[in-house]
Amino acid sequence: MSEHFVERARYFCSLGGAVSTVTALPGGIPILHSASGCAGNFAWTQNGGSGLQVGGYCGSLTVPSSNVQENEVVFGGEERLREQIANTLQVMDGGLYVVLTGCVPEVIGDDIFAVVNDFRNEGAPVIGAATGGFRGDSYWGYDLVLQALAKDYLTKGLPKVKGRVNLWGVVPYMDPFWRGNLEGARHLLELIGLEVNTFFTPADSLERIKAAGSAELNVVVSDRYGVEAARQFEERHGTPFVTAPLPIGVTASETFLRQVGAALGLAEDAVGEVIAREKRHYYQILEPLTDCYNDLDLQRYAVVVGDANYAVALTRFLADDLGWLPVLTVVTDRVQEQDQEGIAQRVAQLGSGYRTNLVFESDASEVLGHLNRVWPRSTGQKYHNGFSPAFVVGSSLERELALQIGAPHLSVSFPVANRAVLDRGYTGFRGGLRLAEDLISAVVAGR
Amino acid sequence: MSYFDNKVPPKREDRLQAVIAHKDSICGIANRGGGKSCLIQDGERAFTQGTICLLLPALAMLNSLPDNVVLLHSALGCGSCTHSQNANVRTGSNARWGKPKDGIWLSTALDETDVINGGEGKLEQAIIEADRRYRPASITIVAGCVPGIIGDDIDGVAQKVQPQVNARLLPVHCEGFKTKIWATAYDAVYHTIGRNLLVERGEKQITPQDELEVFKEQQRLARTVNLMNVSSMGRIDELELERLLNSLGLEANVFPVFAHPDSFVKATRAALSISTCPTHDDYFLGYLEERFGVPSLIQHMPIGIENTSLWLRDVAAKFGLEEQAELLIASEEAELRQALEEFRPLFEGKTVFISAGEFRALATARLLQEIGLEVVGIRSFHHDEFAEVEYEKLAREAKSDYVVDIANVQPFEEANLLKRLKPDLFLGHANGNMTAAKLGVATHVIYNTGLAYIGYRGVYEVARRLYRQLSNPSYNKRLAENVRLPYAESWYQAEPFTYLNSRGRSVNE
Repeated sequence: MSEHFVERARYFCSLGGAVSTVTALPGGIPILHSASGCAGNFAWTQNGGSGLQVGGYCGSLTVPSSNVQENEVVFGGEERLREQIANTLQVMDGGLYVVLTGCVPEVIGDDIFAVVNDFRNEGAPVIGAATGGFRGDSYWGYDLVLQALAKDYLTKGLPKVKGRVNLWGVVPYMDPFWRGNLEGARHLLELIGLEVNTFFTPADSLERIKAAGSAELNVVVSDRYGVEAARQFEERHGTPFVTAPLPIGVTASETFLRQVGAALGLAEDAVGEVIAREKRHYYQILEPLTDCYNDLDLQRYAVVVGDANYAVALTRFLADDLGWLPVLTVVTDRVQEQDQEGIAQRVAQLGSGYRTNLVFESDASEVLGHLNRVWPRSTGQKYHNGFSPAFVVGSSLERELALQIGAPHLSVSFPVANRAVLDRGYTGFRGGLRLAEDLISAVVAGR
Repeated sequence: MSYFDNKVPPKREDRLQAVIAHKDSICGIANRGGGKSCLIQDGERAFTQGTICLLLPALAMLNSLPDNVVLLHSALGCGSCTHSQNANVRTGSNARWGKPKDGIWLSTALDETDVINGGEGKLEQAIIEADRRYRPASITIVAGCVPGIIGDDIDGVAQKVQPQVNARLLPVHCEGFKTKIWATAYDAVYHTIGRNLLVERGEKQITPQDELEVFKEQQRLARTVNLMNVSSMGRIDELELERLLNSLGLEANVFPVFAHPDSFVKATRAALSISTCPTHDDYFLGYLEERFGVPSLIQHMPIGIENTSLWLRDVAAKFGLEEQAELLIASEEAELRQALEEFRPLFEGKTVFISAGEFRALATARLLQEIGLEVVGIRSFHHDEFAEVEYEKLAREAKSDYVVDIANVQPFEEANLLKRLKPDLFLGHANGNMTAAKLGVATHVIYNTGLAYIGYRGVYEVARRLYRQLSNPSYNKRLAENVRLPYAESWYQAEPFTYLNSRGRSVNE
């Protein structure tokens, strides 16, 4: 990892993450207070990285944007923003308008909240968030939007409703499988009788989001994304939260359900029964793969490259469910040193007992070097226990690595340029089956 | 003094009086042709939607350069658009060298501390590390908005660090808030090429030369032309133009996309530079002419039958090859027109709305007229004087007057117009077909580097693809029945240009 630059950054800036997040809300309309090019930059980024999904109801180049110019840099952009919000409310048909700032207005010191509050005072459904690109990456932008919702949109002081939870941690468009992953994780929680508010799926609504303060627990399926928002949510609305790895596959789903069940004080037996039933189904479906899994020798060494969610969840799935050998796990987020240990712990002791080597590295070109360090290359000796047969699970930036080591490859983590993703997801018991299908299909593609 | 003596190129609103906010009609705008483009005052919109900035097209060019590393000096997100442009880099590399290759782009990821303390130190270190890690021929140092506001001097840093690194350092100014005409991107890239890559580096080899070889090389150069491609053409289109030029006995030096930085100097030795899009090339071709004496042709985009033939005639005239060109044109046109007959019955009477960069939109509109469609509306992303002749060509062929919307995208105006005009077909730029698609109109992308658009071959391929789209537009029809655009119903009742010039005059005018 370089201290001076990020290579082929696998994220948007915080504004990009915030815009993507708002466009994924039901009836959400972002109002960018930024230079003109930010919106186009995000549309092109989604095009190249989000599994061919761009926009939605009001995304891409449809998003209202104040398009600040030199004039605003000199004289300030607040009046331009005021005009833009007023006209947006006329032209655009939305349920919630979220003003999001880019670098330029923040550096020049525009006070967007003063402008936003004038509209709020008149009853317009407008909130704001300071999301200037220099504040961080798109995962942080997602967190900032959730913070703004908790602060300015959600109804305060609602009584808690038993069995009601909010589900966070899957970032729209940053996780190309966000729709499927949210639905898969929701389905898991519904299995144990919970009512789940997922915010971003077709089943969600602004009314339910507004009432999210009535949840008795926030479930964050990430060690990073949405965690700060969950902490602030607890302060504002008194709802505690748990964090868990993205539950992909049978082992992770079981652990996840037991963790959430315990946090809510659900009867262990009842949760256990659900798990037993789902596992039965899972293995009933997996069973007929067994002949070919053996006959074709489908076990693989693996390099896993992904964001903090996927690097952990994919490694655990490969080692604990599929019986593969993840030798190197690369977390591509730029994680502060004090936060690295928590993520490392997630893969330090796997149920299978297999040990991976975990590194924090954002740059695709450096991954091969890490692999060579953990698995030395042949020096020309007659017998060499080489890194094969191997598989690379990562983003589409890992195609070059896969070519270099002669391994098949599957894009899962952003950027996913070479797959079309609509509602496919890998979470839950069923999601594990989807992932097994996709991985093994890549191995046998030439069969 | 040349523009190229300055660190930063001028913006197009100053150099060309280019405008982005204006409503007109094809006859109206064509009639102005006799006057001057500055008769059109740029307007302003009081409601705007997000667009792109000059950084995006600049990166599309820079990422294609082999052996170059793009180093963005900006906040983390600037340049993430490269994730989609990288697909072009991969397919473009594959088409040219038989192997897909990812571009390398880096960001100094300026953070809150840098915004306060300045980012020049970080940039210096980033350049040095990038040079050591990747060993590239060049590093393009691209400034986004943040350094433009906090005052980082990328030219100064490049000059200071240059002696410590092997790569040539090429500063490129893409501070998005500084120009509303994103075509300034082409000037920004050409500016650094002109300032840094057109002079041979290192010592000249002094060896006894074979006189015959020298003579042969001179003969070759006398028939070599610079064929300008700033990334709006794919390899398939380059091949079509090379085929036509070769038929005239000319050799093409395709430039600057996918050209190695060390090879740029070749452009100064060519017999002629030929633009494929005046919007792209005028800044640089003027410089090549003025500084190196390379004459240039800069009119007509070779899209459509008439335009391709005009383009070829101009080239031929420069070399005294008129007769040869007429023979070529006659046979190409005859063959093409006959092949197009198959599609004509489906196209006849169908209406089309076109949206893209100005020259591309107008040349494509002419092509669509030629294959039997009726143009009922055009939206050009900006307007400058180079396009006047194209509006005249279209006006001459128009059955009746129609709207011309000068807008940097702004799909809300387009949605309103499309509801009124109800065209059968819409051709839009990348990320620009979604509005029409959601209204159930058949759509096709007006520019995609994997597809053929240019020359005679391009006319046929466009017709072939439109025939396909019009034969079954069910994807869009079903979509329109089930989703809606995010505009209030009242907006469709309003006049489409309600927000044009409803804003007070800006303070510094």
